[in-house]
Amino acid sequence: MAHSTRPMTDWRKAKLPVFAFLAPATIIYTVFMIYPLLDSIRLSFYTSVSGGDLTFVGLDNYRTILGDPGWSATFWNAFWNNMKFFAVHMLVQNPIGIALAAVLSLPQLKLRNTYRTLIFMPTMLSVVVVGFIWQLILSPVWGVGPEILDIFGLKSLFGPWLGKEGSALITLALISVWQWVGIPMMLIYAALLAIPEDLVDAAVVDGASHFEVFLHIKLPLVLPTIAMVSILTFVSNFNAFDLIYSVKGALAGPNFSTDIMGTLFYRTFFGYQLQLGSPTLGATVASLMFIIILVGVLFYLFVVQRRLSRYQL
Amino acid sequence: MADQFDLECRNVGKNFDRFVAVDNVSLTIPKGSFFSILGPSGCGKTTLLRMLAGFQEPTSGDILIKGKSVLGVPPNRRPVNMVFQHLALFPMMNVADNVAYGLRRRGVDKATINRKVAETLARVGLPDSGPKQISQLSGGQKQRIAIARCLVLEPAVLLLDEPLGALDLKLREHMKVELKQLQHEIGTTFVYITHDQSEALVMSDQVAVMNAGKFEQVGTPQDLYYNPQTAFVASFVGESNRWRGTVGETTGDYVAINLDKGGVILADKAAHASLPTGQDVEIFVRPEAIAIGRSDAAPDPVPGNNSLTGTVENVLFNGAASSVQIRETATGHEMSVALPQTGAFANLRAGDVINLAWHASQTRCFAGVLPSGIEGGQS
Ligand SMILES: Nc1ncnc2c1ncn2[C@@H]1O[C@H](COP(=O)(O)OP(=O)(O)O)[C@@H](O)[C@H]1O
Ligand SMILES: [Mg+2]
Repeated sequence: MAHSTRPMTDWRKAKLPVFAFLAPATIIYTVFMIYPLLDSIRLSFYTSVSGGDLTFVGLDNYRTILGDPGWSATFWNAFWNNMKFFAVHMLVQNPIGIALAAVLSLPQLKLRNTYRTLIFMPTMLSVVVVGFIWQLILSPVWGVGPEILDIFGLKSLFGPWLGKEGSALITLALISVWQWVGIPMMLIYAALLAIPEDLVDAAVVDGASHFEVFLHIKLPLVLPTIAMVSILTFVSNFNAFDLIYSVKGALAGPNFSTDIMGTLFYRTFFGYQLQLGSPTLGATVASLMFIIILVGVLFYLFVVQRRLSRYQL
Repeated sequence: MADQFDLECRNVGKNFDRFVAVDNVSLTIPKGSFFSILGPSGCGKTTLLRMLAGFQEPTSGDILIKGKSVLGVPPNRRPVNMVFQHLALFPMMNVADNVAYGLRRRGVDKATINRKVAETLARVGLPDSGPKQISQLSGGQKQRIAIARCLVLEPAVLLLDEPLGALDLKLREHMKVELKQLQHEIGTTFVYITHDQSEALVMSDQVAVMNAGKFEQVGTPQDLYYNPQTAFVASFVGESNRWRGTVGETTGDYVAINLDKGGVILADKAAHASLPTGQDVEIFVRPEAIAIGRSDAAPDPVPGNNSLTGTVENVLFNGAASSVQIRETATGHEMSVALPQTGAFANLRAGDVINLAWHASQTRCFAGVLPSGIEGGQS
């Protein structure tokens, strides 16, 4: 290719159109994202005394949430529950997503588009509907779950999973996995399609089996996509609220065993039953959620992403 | 006798639904030779090569490697290996691991792998490149590593699918010579496919010219160049001046071809005995077969010589490969003529009128009219 010298952009003349084009996005983003975020962080440094006047209290709210025995137990319970929720997604959703993508990209597969659509379908359902459906399925009283297990002779394994402290959170996480597994599948499938066929053929001539081709050639090439899927999962898990609320309500029972950051925030901010809502303490929980997600994303950007090599194909 | 040949195809055909990609191709490749398949893009070269490698099964016919049919044998069990068009080196492994990959899959022990990898890297002239990443290699080095990765498995036949296509022109010229040299040293049979006639001519012992799924002609580069058997070969291999005409009357040893645009060209009768009078033909004359002379020094009338005059339109100076474009006076036909390397015509200018002459034996005619648009792969 010839090296053509492009005319330099004259910034003085270009200024007006540049700002004109940037303005809509900048204004909308500022008004609806940056300002509320900063304002809610600001709110977390105040407390409302008698009748709504705000007084600046510095880090007192943070001391309350993290230091007060009652609050800190609740907070750390929600935090660790959220970590478990995330762990189930990482250990179940992503491996299944990768496996489904690998199967979808097999050249011999028939009805590829049908499978893809079916697996992707749940992501289009409302979370409330999904929560309701699964409650119907898993209800020990009138659910169809026991009957379905009976077909395979496994009825004895059935338990009131959503109602037991030990299994409720994991069950909810698995319901969420069922709903969202289509997203990692599609992203990884797209990454797999981008791998040149020659590379696979070259490994096959060298004697690699299907599985070895996947393990040695394809997996390293889709690792950046998997890392991206993981961080997206992290962000959405720590922002999760809707599924738990629709199945368990804001009390996240039994005995707060399904309480995660989102439901904790809801109760703190709006109040629930006997507990009074406090916008300032709610803003503190929201700011802590923001910090947790920020730490996760920074870890991804500065540690994970830098170590992963993206190969030029 | 079959084991004289490393590779043999018997009436191999491949259809994709009703589309015939490879049509009844037969070939035999002697051990240790450099065999090229030359043809325009889309003529079925890759399909043929993928059948040899085992990625596709032929619809009909048989493929034999070292005298044994390999139909139904998967790619990794055939004694062949393949260098891909974009080389297909594994970017997540270093050079040594790339070369070792096939050996590992075959369960060879570590010490042997290390020894063989070192040997092979030395053989392709990159002995110290083992720990390097693929992205650190230059285009030519990648090329050699891709070949090393295949050679380490000691295939009977190495298949190469346009491996120089991705390189820039200068490197391509260099790698042509180097590949030929490498093949000569290691003695493995190479089957090389390309759409670039100069690659095929420079490197090969034998070249098959392929068009629309069929072999048009198989022969040595010299054969193809000097004795093309079909109009397609004549037009695809090397450059030619072309006319259309009809076969006219015979005088002695020579037959006159009447050009459609007026004028007559003489051809050898003996070489074109099969063409009946009145037959439509394509006429080809190589640029270097035409002698040029100053218009004031009229050439001696030699029997059977074609003699024309023309006006110089452009002088394309390119050292030893210089040529002139000439507008022929009688027919207005544009011709290309090679300049003698002596420098005798160094002062030739556009507008000069010159004489052109070539002997009838240099004229080649082929029956039928070729669809236009098929031109030699100039490089
Ligand atoms: N898998 C396939 N299915 C259908 N048609 C194919 C397939 N592979 C190749 N073809 C067709 O066969 C013809 C020859 O292709 P190919 O062998 O790749 O040509 P070349 O390598 O000579 O450029 C092309 O017209 C191509 O479209
Ligand atoms: Mg091809």
